[in-house]
Amino acid sequence: MDKRENLLDTIRAIAVRTPTKDIEVPEKVVGFGTIDYKAQTCSACKKCILACEPGALDMEETLSMHDYLRVTMPQEGFRSKNRETLVTLLQNLKGDYDYGDVQAVSVPDGLAGYGSIAWSAEQCIACEKCIEACPENCLTLQKTYKLAEVVGTVESPPRPPERKDWEPFIICFVCWECSHAAADLAGLMHLHYPASIRTIRIPCSGALEPIHIMTALQQGADGVLVTGCLLSECHYGGDSPKAGNFMQYDFVKFWSDILEEIGIGGRLYIDFASAAMGIKFAEIVETFTDKIRHLGPSPIRVKTEVQE
Amino acid sequence: MKKLFLCTCNKTLNKRLDFARIEKEIGGTFESVQVHDALCLEEGLAFLESEVSKDDAVVIGACTSQIIGVPIERRLASEQISFVPIREHVAWVHKDDKKGATNKAMVLLNDGAIHVDYMVPKTSVDLQMEKKVLIVGGGIAGLKVASDLVQLGVDVTLLEPPEFNKDSYVEMNQFMADSDTLTDTVKGLLSASKGSKKFNGTITSLSGRAGLYSVTLKLEDGKDKDLLVGAIIVATNTEQSPPSLAKTAHYGKSDNTLFVSELATLTSNLSGKTILVAQDPTYHDSDAEGSYLLREVTKAAEKGNTVIVAHFNIYTKDENLYRKARESGVIFVRGTLERVDKKKGQLVCRLENTLESQVREFAVDYLVLQPECKPWSGTRKLAETLDLDLDQSGFIKTRYSKIKPVQTSKRGIFIAGNAKTPMNLNDALASASNASLEVIKSIIAEGERKGWIPIIDEELCDVCEACVNACPNDALRRVGDEIKHIPMHCEFCGICVSACPTRAIEFQSHSKDSWMSRIEAIAENHKKLQGKEPFTLVYACSECANASIDQAGFTGKGYSANNYVIQFPCAGMVSPIEILKGLVVGAEQVIIAHCPPGGCHHQAGDHLSELIVEFTQDMLKTIGQDPDRIKATYMIAALPNKMQEEVAHRG
Repeated sequence: MDKRENLLDTIRAIAVRTPTKDIEVPEKVVGFGTIDYKAQTCSACKKCILACEPGALDMEETLSMHDYLRVTMPQEGFRSKNRETLVTLLQNLKGDYDYGDVQAVSVPDGLAGYGSIAWSAEQCIACEKCIEACPENCLTLQKTYKLAEVVGTVESPPRPPERKDWEPFIICFVCWECSHAAADLAGLMHLHYPASIRTIRIPCSGALEPIHIMTALQQGADGVLVTGCLLSECHYGGDSPKAGNFMQYDFVKFWSDILEEIGIGGRLYIDFASAAMGIKFAEIVETFTDKIRHLGPSPIRVKTEVQE
Repeated sequence: MKKLFLCTCNKTLNKRLDFARIEKEIGGTFESVQVHDALCLEEGLAFLESEVSKDDAVVIGACTSQIIGVPIERRLASEQISFVPIREHVAWVHKDDKKGATNKAMVLLNDGAIHVDYMVPKTSVDLQMEKKVLIVGGGIAGLKVASDLVQLGVDVTLLEPPEFNKDSYVEMNQFMADSDTLTDTVKGLLSASKGSKKFNGTITSLSGRAGLYSVTLKLEDGKDKDLLVGAIIVATNTEQSPPSLAKTAHYGKSDNTLFVSELATLTSNLSGKTILVAQDPTYHDSDAEGSYLLREVTKAAEKGNTVIVAHFNIYTKDENLYRKARESGVIFVRGTLERVDKKKGQLVCRLENTLESQVREFAVDYLVLQPECKPWSGTRKLAETLDLDLDQSGFIKTRYSKIKPVQTSKRGIFIAGNAKTPMNLNDALASASNASLEVIKSIIAEGERKGWIPIIDEELCDVCEACVNACPNDALRRVGDEIKHIPMHCEFCGICVSACPTRAIEFQSHSKDSWMSRIEAIAENHKKLQGKEPFTLVYACSECANASIDQAGFTGKGYSANNYVIQFPCAGMVSPIEILKGLVVGAEQVIIAHCPPGGCHHQAGDHLSELIVEFTQDMLKTIGQDPDRIKATYMIAALPNKMQEEVAHRG
């Protein structure tokens, strides 16, 4: 199965609420976004469709009258003059007509040169190849993610039963540079922190993929904690904006927003500790465990049980 | 210098139109206005010739360009000439409204003045031609074309399918004729076509344009051979196979069972015999086959034989053939042959009459079957290689059955004989002669071909291939990341311009800007002269529709003067832009007039303009405008009152 498809399937599996809002995509997060399409300048040349590798774009045999009537003509006009004339004439003819709920007009079969682009959030990997290919500049990338479109409707599971003996179960991804050393140091210093975490060593916090977070949650973890070197001190990039922990910080923010929207907010957290910060590591674990204890057991477990 | 010449048509038009007013009021648009009594006569042409220099732009207000266009274009040095048919489109159809007609004449003359502003000289087409011809299929039709062309001194190459065997040709391909006639014909054609090169093989690839097609042949010995030819003629044959009845009828096992084509030889000196002709109920014959069957059974009956035809549906377009067959004594029974037994040199046939639900058994001397006729089995592959369209039965489609019967969907490739449909011998020979003539016309005839062509702006072109898909003539092709125009294939129809979404293609002399300003000017001048009277714009194709409107003039089918005809090369060139522009400038309605369905001179314009109008009507609906303000309709010279009817009422 395709990687993206796998991730989206997992998100759908752990969703306990129907998402409604678009998620803002942080600056450093690539691969997620919304392609905004301006139908009025499109010449239906299909270059974007040919450029799109995951097949997120398709040709629709319609003409978007809504866009045509609403657009304000730029000073220099459109590059495609035939469209410019068509739009101008239509706007001229419409007069004061209320175009609020104008329907798209279907293009008769056999008529070349007309059509609209249909974009699917699910397949899009925001690679911008379509934008480069478009000669008319009708495509732009918006830094938002249409989660609602991807996830669809979700049936909320029943509330989990209260269990007195419940203790949080947290998966903690540690980078094998500073933060792993910090965890070691916490041990060497005989610091006590809750027994709720299970650490998984990864090369760099930046190497953590969203599918790992989602799988951990799907498999019943109550929370996922990511730790890395101190910001600007990543062993793989240092203070470069592309350093692993900088990247992961934005990603975790993005995934936290998504988890919030699908009803399991607050269960993902990222923090940083250097090799000398054993105490801080213990504190991070303690704070996050408290937070999870406060949130209660993960509703996903109930969901999977219900499904079974 | 912009000059206007008006013709009074032997002092008749000035009685219907106020020439003095026209001269006075329109004079400002032109540097000179001159009136002549007969521009079409030698004196008029000489007068024009002396008045017009190479750099002049000329508007001729006279009769239709169908009449006066060719002589004037031939005589004048200038190539910027616009013809305004003030006779057929104005004077003769607005007899009772001198003022309105004069106003309309001025509006149209003004339109002509704008038209010449945008006009550029026509582009000459590169006519370089390879004077060689390739014929695919050396059957009757192929040999006929070859012999015709060889006698005219053309270099002919005849390509046969590898399995072709000259000796058994007549036996293999019973050609809806008896074998004696066939043998004689083939003998004659073989000697007449001596001098043509013959190869056995198949075509594997084709590139280039009409006049310069390069063809690769794969020969029987496995070698490739490249040829450069000016034209290709497809003269493939039909394939005849025994019908499914053959086994029941003991075909091949009994000497008394034969095919229709053998009937003439059999009955040449035979009488008093009983012959049963059985049609296969599962096979639907063509007109040619049905007619052939009827002719043959009539001949057999006239010889004094008892002929019974067990049939389902004998298809013929000539009812007389059937009547003649009945009169000659042929007995027609509707039904199927169920069973045949051999008994004492005769065949006992069991026949079920499906009309009377009766089963009869009778003995006959001969049983005759109609073979099934299909296109040659290699036709599909050949059509793919040559990029030709096929019809429903798998035969090669002609371009236009009435006026272009031997042309295919691709320029420079022709069809002869049975490649089109099953034919009898005479028809096949006639069709082959027709094809040879067309080839001679296209590759040998010297001359000049000129026209306004589409010009492609590579900067603006998105290579969306909309024009390539729209062009009915294969005149636009994608070569790498560019669209290339092949003037040789171009019919100057402008359909590509209508398809282009970006305006990367502009038509010479008919740019989008020119349409816009012409439509604007007509509306403006109309309002100036006719005030608030509603007016209609008719976008007429220059072929059938324009001829129909001219005919309305000749036959005096009058209509209101507030109807303005704008001539488009083809109705397929009209895009939603011109239609909407017409409404925006204030036309009450816009009518797109095209050739009759399936009769477009450029193959697709009639259909495309209907689609465009349907599409534009949908747009109008969504913005709350009345979609009935626009319509597409056909006009045809045979219906001169069509214009009168169409502009008379809305919807």
